[in-house]
Amino acid sequence: MAERSPPQGRLDPTRIAAATLLVGAAYLPLMGRLSPQISIFVGAVLLLRLAALRWPALTPGRWLLLPLTLAGLGVVFDAYFDFRGRDAGTSLFVVMLTLKTLELRAPRDLRLLCVLFGFLLVSHFLFDQSAWLAMYLGALLLADLALMADLTARPDRRPLYAALNLAGTLTLQALPLAIVLFLLFPRLSAPLWDLGNRAQRNVTGMGDTMEPGSVSELVVSGDPAFRARFDGAAPPQDQLYWRGLVLWDYDGRRWSRPPPGTLPEARPRLTQTAGLIGYELVLEPSGKRWVYALDLPVGPPADATLDGDFQIAAATPLTRSLRVRLVSATRYNTGPLDLDQEAAGLQLPPNVTQRMRALVTGWQAGAGSPRQVVDQALAHISSADFYYTLLPPALGDNPTDEFLFETRRGFCEHYAGAFAVLMRIAGIPARIVLGYQGAELSPWGGWYLVTQAEAHAWVEVWLQGEGWVRVDPTAAIAPQRIDRGDLFSRLSAGNPFRLQIDESGLLFRAVHGLRRLAAGTQVVWQDWVLDFSLARQEHILAAFGLAHLRQYGLALALALVVAATLVLGLLAAAMLTGEPREPLVDIYRRFCARLTRIGLPPGPGEGPQDYARRVAAARPDLAEAVAGFMADYLPARYRDGAGQAQLRGLRARLRRFRPRGR
Amino acid sequence: MHLFKTSPAPTALAPVLAAADQVILGKGHEIRLAVCCLLAGGHLLIEDLPGVGKTTLARLLARLLGLQFSRIQFTSDMLPADIIGVSIYERSAEAFRFHPGPIFAQVVLADEINRATPKAQSALLEAMEEHQVTVEGVTRPLPSPFFVIATQNPHHQVGTFPLPESQLDRFLMRIRLGYPAAAQEKELLAGEDRRALLEKVVPAVTPQALAALQAEATRVRLSAPIVDYCHAILAFSRGSARFVYGLSPRAGLGLLRAARAWALLAGRDYVLPEDVQAVLPACLPHRLSDSADTATDVHEDMADYILAGVPVP
Repeated sequence: MAERSPPQGRLDPTRIAAATLLVGAAYLPLMGRLSPQISIFVGAVLLLRLAALRWPALTPGRWLLLPLTLAGLGVVFDAYFDFRGRDAGTSLFVVMLTLKTLELRAPRDLRLLCVLFGFLLVSHFLFDQSAWLAMYLGALLLADLALMADLTARPDRRPLYAALNLAGTLTLQALPLAIVLFLLFPRLSAPLWDLGNRAQRNVTGMGDTMEPGSVSELVVSGDPAFRARFDGAAPPQDQLYWRGLVLWDYDGRRWSRPPPGTLPEARPRLTQTAGLIGYELVLEPSGKRWVYALDLPVGPPADATLDGDFQIAAATPLTRSLRVRLVSATRYNTGPLDLDQEAAGLQLPPNVTQRMRALVTGWQAGAGSPRQVVDQALAHISSADFYYTLLPPALGDNPTDEFLFETRRGFCEHYAGAFAVLMRIAGIPARIVLGYQGAELSPWGGWYLVTQAEAHAWVEVWLQGEGWVRVDPTAAIAPQRIDRGDLFSRLSAGNPFRLQIDESGLLFRAVHGLRRLAAGTQVVWQDWVLDFSLARQEHILAAFGLAHLRQYGLALALALVVAATLVLGLLAAAMLTGEPREPLVDIYRRFCARLTRIGLPPGPGEGPQDYARRVAAARPDLAEAVAGFMADYLPARYRDGAGQAQLRGLRARLRRFRPRGR
Repeated sequence: MHLFKTSPAPTALAPVLAAADQVILGKGHEIRLAVCCLLAGGHLLIEDLPGVGKTTLARLLARLLGLQFSRIQFTSDMLPADIIGVSIYERSAEAFRFHPGPIFAQVVLADEINRATPKAQSALLEAMEEHQVTVEGVTRPLPSPFFVIATQNPHHQVGTFPLPESQLDRFLMRIRLGYPAAAQEKELLAGEDRRALLEKVVPAVTPQALAALQAEATRVRLSAPIVDYCHAILAFSRGSARFVYGLSPRAGLGLLRAARAWALLAGRDYVLPEDVQAVLPACLPHRLSDSADTATDVHEDMADYILAGVPVP
């Protein structure tokens, strides 16, 4: 009787059965990927749920749900000994979602289940990104939406197709927005669904040594290395040399760090500094201790040391991302050379050939000072037919000699290595610096992204009166001989994302034959969805004549995303009590950002009051607004702390404060 | 880097600063720093050439604040007893009687402190630190407030004993007066004799009011961001390749003490980052030394270097 016309606020069994079957269907693709005991537990719970529909006496009460939940936790922990990570996390989520089906009493329980079901669908992409799975999950999503639509139906129940119809219509209406977001959503240079596999892949990054090919292999990976944000204006691109390792020893083929202890741990010395720049770096995990810093850091960040050759080493290897604050001087003098550095900077490999010496002797004859020898060497690289290429010919036992006199094709490590050897022959102390050159400004947030594609090697030579001076022989190559054409072909060939097909998965065995027939579909899926990268995004925009959309359209798309985030954020804020951490800092940042936009950024180390005075002096029309803001902000931040009323007042001031440039 | 404050001092001190400006022309910021140093209960080192007004500044402060003044001219043959005093047997009383030395005053001008031997220097510096002197087993407190203004010639000449870093650390501030600007110097040359002008100065504040202000300076509110800022400055000095060694915690305490007094002078009951920045050039550089060892090295000014390197919280 109750089944026929359920009273208000009760769920009828048909819906519960549908939800249970949906969860089961959504679990199927995960079956081969998670531990078997998870599958057994999930299967058992779902069966219990269905059985309880037929024999209501079996419905577990609250007294049974608690032990069941604990058992679920136990099963997950027994399988992975952890609740974090991809597999354990997904297992935990699936187990809890399954248990939730036992708890379906009121419509709101079902609605919650339907929303959580969406997360279950998305979690599949952590394991597999094939087109078939996407289609399967799409169908499940449609069913999920239909269930939700059915839930809102009036008591005179609509037939199934009505619910499906509504769900389908809603999906179609949402599709254009989804496509726009997909096309315009900001891309990093890594593929879209890259998150799940990070744990399984080796972390790429700079090695501890340099030999021909070591940097160029890195360059094609294109993974992010670190991000930087400058306190003030960023230096020009050609000044963005991010130093990492400093290499002294050369055995004729490979450059390396001296073994610990051979180079005494001298304190770094700076006799002149100018052009100080403060900035913040967020380093990706590399498994190494090296911290990159703009040439030349004046001191180490917290929990790190600065070696005598201005190489920064963190206390522990970077196994997770690290945020550091650094200050660098763009103009500097490292002063005189100590004896150990001189000896290390002049040692020669055993395989120096006669023609190398002859080349250097020729330069020395025409030069009066070491500086002129350096200039002559750079002129030689520029005038002789040296080519810059990512695919240099293989080199034999004496790569320096072969590169200099025969192949003349190479990447930065060839040029830096050969240049350093030639300088040492000329009696000029030289060392190799491994790091990154350049950075790409992300259009939002003011962050500069440095990827492995920017990996670089250059030389430092010591000159009397100037200290260690940076020389980049790669930059001396004549521009017309730089071969960039092969970069893209190698990028696509070396793309880390190939389709991963797990043959043991039930679904995949079933559709194996079909997939052979539809390989073309997969290629399209791969190209247009999985590998939809930054470059491709730009290509598409350019094809529609919207090449500049990066500035305008993307901002629009971003505004949509921001709006969505804002809604979610407001919801979260409504749920969580209390303010976010340090809202005052945030308010002051936004105040500074508005003034920065009209060309009045805060100076390095400038306090709020001084800043306000400077702004007032530069723009008398803003003086009143700025003074008003400060009158509220300063006591709140530096005296009393801010209560809700002050924060509201400051936010209101900030809303009204919209300075325009002149 | 920073704009010097021009906001009015609390009413009790406004006449002091105004009157001082009338006597020592064009040195408003330095006078303010000196008063700030006194309010913070620290001692002041003036490093400058003879004749730029060091003595006048010391006398002026003593008179304006209604304090006793004494002056010790340091020489190479000076003994500690010349500074702190000596016990002499008096026939009439048939007992030793202590004759207090010139250090028993509220404002003591220690002129050319680097001319004396380390022994005599340390007698003064100990008294500065302890606010008391011990002669023949008897501890005698020094008057309160006790404010030492020491001067030294910046160039290390023959026959001088430069103060070591540990001794310099006892001074809360080191300032330079420098030559006056052209307009002020002409006014000075044409105007009345400074000595006569000094005689006319009347105390603008009572010792009780001064003590109350000193107590108030310690109650100026110090927020967590300012403490973070100060710590970041100390950490920066310790990590920077430019300095031989970093700043001590005492330097940090002194910096905050001075910043509080500076905030009070600006009529505020809480410290702003600008207060720290205003006193930093006076409070820190004498406690630091450059790792570069030749005089030809050209650095950006030490204080600017620190201020540019540490972000404001």
